[in-house]
Amino acid sequence: MSVAFLRPVASADAPARSPLADAAAAGGARLGVRDGWELATSFGDAEAEAEACASSVGFGDRSSLTKLELQAAPGRLEAAAGRLELGTAVLEDGAWACPVAPGLRLELHPAGRGGERLEVLEEAGVNVLDLTASLGAISVRGPGAAETIARFCAIDTRPKSLPPGGFRPGSVARTPGHLLREGEDGFLLLFGAAYAEYVWQQVASAAATLGGRPVGLDALSAPEAVHDA
Amino acid sequence: MSRLPERPGQRIDRSRPLSFSFDGKPRQGLAGDTIASALYAGGQRVFSRSFKYHRKRGEICGCGQCANSLVTVDGAPGVRACGEPLVEGMRVEHQNAWPSLGFDVMAATDRFGGPFTPPGFYYKTFIRPRRLWPLYEKVLRRAAGLGRLPKRQEERTWETEYRRRHCDVAVLGGGGAGLSAALRAAELGADVVLVDDDVEPGGALLVEGEHERARDLAARCAEAGVEIIFGGSALGYFDGLVAVWQGDTLHQVRAARHVAATGSIEQPLVFPGNDLPGVMLSGGALRLAALYGIAPGESVVVATCERRGLENALRLQALGVSVSAVADLRTGGDEDLCEQLRAGGAELLRGMTAVRASGRGRLAEVTIAAVAADGRAVGSSRTLACDCLAVCGGAAPASSLLLQAGARAAYDQAANRFLPGSLPAGVSGAGAVVGHEGPAPSLLSGSLAGADSALALGFGGPEDRARAEQERDRLDAALAAARPRQAPPALATDGGKGKAFVDLDEDITVKDVVYAAAEGYDSIELSKRYTTATMGPSQGRFSQLAAVRALAEDTGLSMGELGLTTARPPWAPVLLGALAGRPFEPAKRSALHGRHRELGATVEWAGEWRRAYDYGDPAAEALTVQEDAGLIDVSTLGKLIVRGPEAEEFLDRLYPNRMSSLKPGRIRYGILTSEAGRITDDGTVCRLDEETFYVTTTSSGAAAVENWFSWWRADWQAEVALTDVTQGLAAMNLAGPRSREILSELTELDCSNEAFPYLDGQHAVVAGVPCLLLRIGFTGELGYELHCPLANARALWDTIVAAGARPFGLEPQRILRLQKHHILVGQDTDSESTPYGANLAWAVKLDKDQDFIGRWALEAQAEAEPPHQLVGFSCPGGEVPTEGAAIVRDGVVTGQVTSSRRSPKLGQSIGLAMVAPGEAADGTAIEISDEGRRILATVTTAPFYDPEGEVVRS
Repeated sequence: MSVAFLRPVASADAPARSPLADAAAAGGARLGVRDGWELATSFGDAEAEAEACASSVGFGDRSSLTKLELQAAPGRLEAAAGRLELGTAVLEDGAWACPVAPGLRLELHPAGRGGERLEVLEEAGVNVLDLTASLGAISVRGPGAAETIARFCAIDTRPKSLPPGGFRPGSVARTPGHLLREGEDGFLLLFGAAYAEYVWQQVASAAATLGGRPVGLDALSAPEAVHDA
Repeated sequence: MSRLPERPGQRIDRSRPLSFSFDGKPRQGLAGDTIASALYAGGQRVFSRSFKYHRKRGEICGCGQCANSLVTVDGAPGVRACGEPLVEGMRVEHQNAWPSLGFDVMAATDRFGGPFTPPGFYYKTFIRPRRLWPLYEKVLRRAAGLGRLPKRQEERTWETEYRRRHCDVAVLGGGGAGLSAALRAAELGADVVLVDDDVEPGGALLVEGEHERARDLAARCAEAGVEIIFGGSALGYFDGLVAVWQGDTLHQVRAARHVAATGSIEQPLVFPGNDLPGVMLSGGALRLAALYGIAPGESVVVATCERRGLENALRLQALGVSVSAVADLRTGGDEDLCEQLRAGGAELLRGMTAVRASGRGRLAEVTIAAVAADGRAVGSSRTLACDCLAVCGGAAPASSLLLQAGARAAYDQAANRFLPGSLPAGVSGAGAVVGHEGPAPSLLSGSLAGADSALALGFGGPEDRARAEQERDRLDAALAAARPRQAPPALATDGGKGKAFVDLDEDITVKDVVYAAAEGYDSIELSKRYTTATMGPSQGRFSQLAAVRALAEDTGLSMGELGLTTARPPWAPVLLGALAGRPFEPAKRSALHGRHRELGATVEWAGEWRRAYDYGDPAAEALTVQEDAGLIDVSTLGKLIVRGPEAEEFLDRLYPNRMSSLKPGRIRYGILTSEAGRITDDGTVCRLDEETFYVTTTSSGAAAVENWFSWWRADWQAEVALTDVTQGLAAMNLAGPRSREILSELTELDCSNEAFPYLDGQHAVVAGVPCLLLRIGFTGELGYELHCPLANARALWDTIVAAGARPFGLEPQRILRLQKHHILVGQDTDSESTPYGANLAWAVKLDKDQDFIGRWALEAQAEAEPPHQLVGFSCPGGEVPTEGAAIVRDGVVTGQVTSSRRSPKLGQSIGLAMVAPGEAADGTAIEISDEGRRILATVTTAPFYDPEGEVVRS
């Protein structure tokens, strides 16, 4: 027996459903399937969504990211997965390696990827669990992103305290979560999937005070958006 | 009433008149006015009635710190008119007076109530006869309080934005010292936040003719990148976090260094009649004139005991206010200022002070005399006609935030101040709050504090350090030149009758302080609590020093010996709504929550989760499970993956049960106990492979169990990986006689009893979804728990429902489990419940070689009779007792009902109860006392349904 049952089935024919799908749909999202996941792909106005990410704040669902939890004795983990400084995540081949504690880290891979990585790590004696379905993820992008996050999260997001690559476990709207700074004006919130609707509402409410709006995955994935992040 | 000539520094815009109303009458003001300044300019002198005696009260501070001008604005009570900017169309009403401000019925307490309302009268009156208490309560509630809340909830709602702001240096107070501190720290490279409660920073600079300097400093701060929070009240210091309330935003400012530059608060003088409208602080009079172009009176007399009062008198003259006389308690010093005052037309009365203020409802004249050390007038006195008495009784550092941070206040006799010292690391003071008074010292002090803060964080270089040292030397020299100050008497009086107030908010007089001391309340903390001095809306800003002085005079103790009362937040008044703020109510929802809503489920809180309690007919849902097939969302169950070479030993040490003997693919029920052998949680353990276990817990206990496991993993240094997957896996229980049939249609797994027996765990793909299936039976029926990734749960649920399973909720599940005597930890158990008292002795393996948590306690419990036993009961009469109802025998409570329901299948009322051992035998008759009802019940020790467990194993 194994823990493979943790990994969601995600295909075009049998898509996995994002924990944020209901909340996003209630907020006017158009749901579509991307990389085997049903989630908010747009909110009906691509131009406005792009503008929000560029000039105020846009937030969107990225729960389809593959999330692997790596646990091992610190020495073994480093040997298998490389050395990381606590507080700093490293981006390599499109995946973020995020140190949570000595002997514990999260890897964030693009949706649908990470399977080979899991096998390699397990062979190296690292305990790996697929937590893709356990954690919801919201990207917050734009000049107002830090101020938006300040409405519900006490982590210090000043660039000198949390530069790009900065990774902090902490309270996200009073729930246990993590914050990753993906770029100068781009953050990724990670939180328990069961809190998805609640966290989405908190982010939406906070962003609204700063003129922000929800955006679809298509807006977040646009080349200029990726570059800005 | 016309305004003084226009001058630089005034806040008003004479080209923009504003209309508003006061008690229904139309009034006029100007843009830039406060409500109080607009009313004052229109001739209003009485703004409120006092708390206890309902005496008329007028403007005293002019800056929103006192409680004399509390009004209701647009239905919202408790607004400080002297700090609240005027807005077009405002509807302003008085508070605490009926029927009107001019004629208040309750003013009779001032005339007649004194003997009946001494300090602490509420401890002695309104007690007997007891039967009249409902009447007393009604009267007191009507009479007490200041202002009335709007009745409609919609008018009382409030939403606050929370905003977290981290910075290097937080400067609290935007006067000269604060601006200098912020600027200096920012220039050295620090990230600085400056907080000031006024509409613009500058503090005393704005009224002392230094408004240009203030604005220049503020502009330079902004240019240097300082974030200035205007109109924000710093509420308190909480271990490095300062909460600042600004309108509808609550800023939580976290700084590496704090500089308190909160200034000092001018103090009143204490003499009979010192609360008459027209008696105000000299700074308050100056603010009216300097900021709003209003003469505080036609004929102003100033009474002071410090240089500050003379300076303010001069400033009033310069602004065009007629100052007829200045009484300075000091007999000498500051001759230069005195000469200037005389040249401006004021008579100087040295060595004298106010000993009485008189007038009918407002000030008409003040009596000035020399006083002895005890405050009694000596020699001849002068009575001066005036309509404004501007007083200066010294100042008190606004040190509350520093004291909250851990500083200690010590009385400095020479300075006549309680000065904060012993500041904790990372906290400094600047300006008047730490005794650095005067324009030059306060700016120097601020600059130095800013530099010190930034340098301590690694900003700046050697030349900045050198400059800071030079500033320190200059400051020391300036402070060394300061002359000792004279303290005013605790009470200056001509010996006649009349109330002399130490606390205007609470109507506390000098006599009250003396009275309380005579009753034994002779320490400052006791005096405060008994008299309520300093407990009013202004929180002692204008009364603490006077109260200490009065108590010192009476007891013979020194000011230093008495000290100050403990400083606590909030320093500034704040709405409860502002603190409650944005409604953070974290709610967990399963992936199926949307489906439950669509099906019309009754959704309620179950711990942190929103759960479907039923879908409209819990009895029918329960019956369906027992006669057909039902499906319940149990995603809330705690789920942990425990992996590693030491996983089985780890679990054996945690559980009283033996988990190491589990074979892969098998499940065992387990209870968790504390080290004292008390039940803390229960659940199942399924062995997935040699080194991997899947642990389930109660829904509400998931986090606690994960913490427990983590703690012991660290303590034992167990080679175990532990992961909480509660939120990543959905779980649904398919239960009922047709559950196997339905499941078989959806999977290729052999679901026969032989291939998939009770307490087996197997992997399978069900309706295209990979699942872990656990054959267990909380409901007591044939059933399977399907655990699958959250992201695939909805598809699986839809398929199973389409195949014929009826959704059922938490309520029918509770009926079903109760039929089987399956406990709910936390409901059928409490913090003292043991496995032996809960009929779970079978889950404790004392013959394990492995030591385990609670072993020593459980061994002792095994030898003794439990104090309570959990038993089933049924009620022949059909009543369903309330959960929590008492079991009684001969009038004595011997136990309680823990669970009770009516079983539709059995057609009877059933339950679980903790009873005394003597009542635990099968068939025993017990009596339940339930809110006045007496219910007879019969103990049943075996499950009500399928006692042998044949159904669940079928």
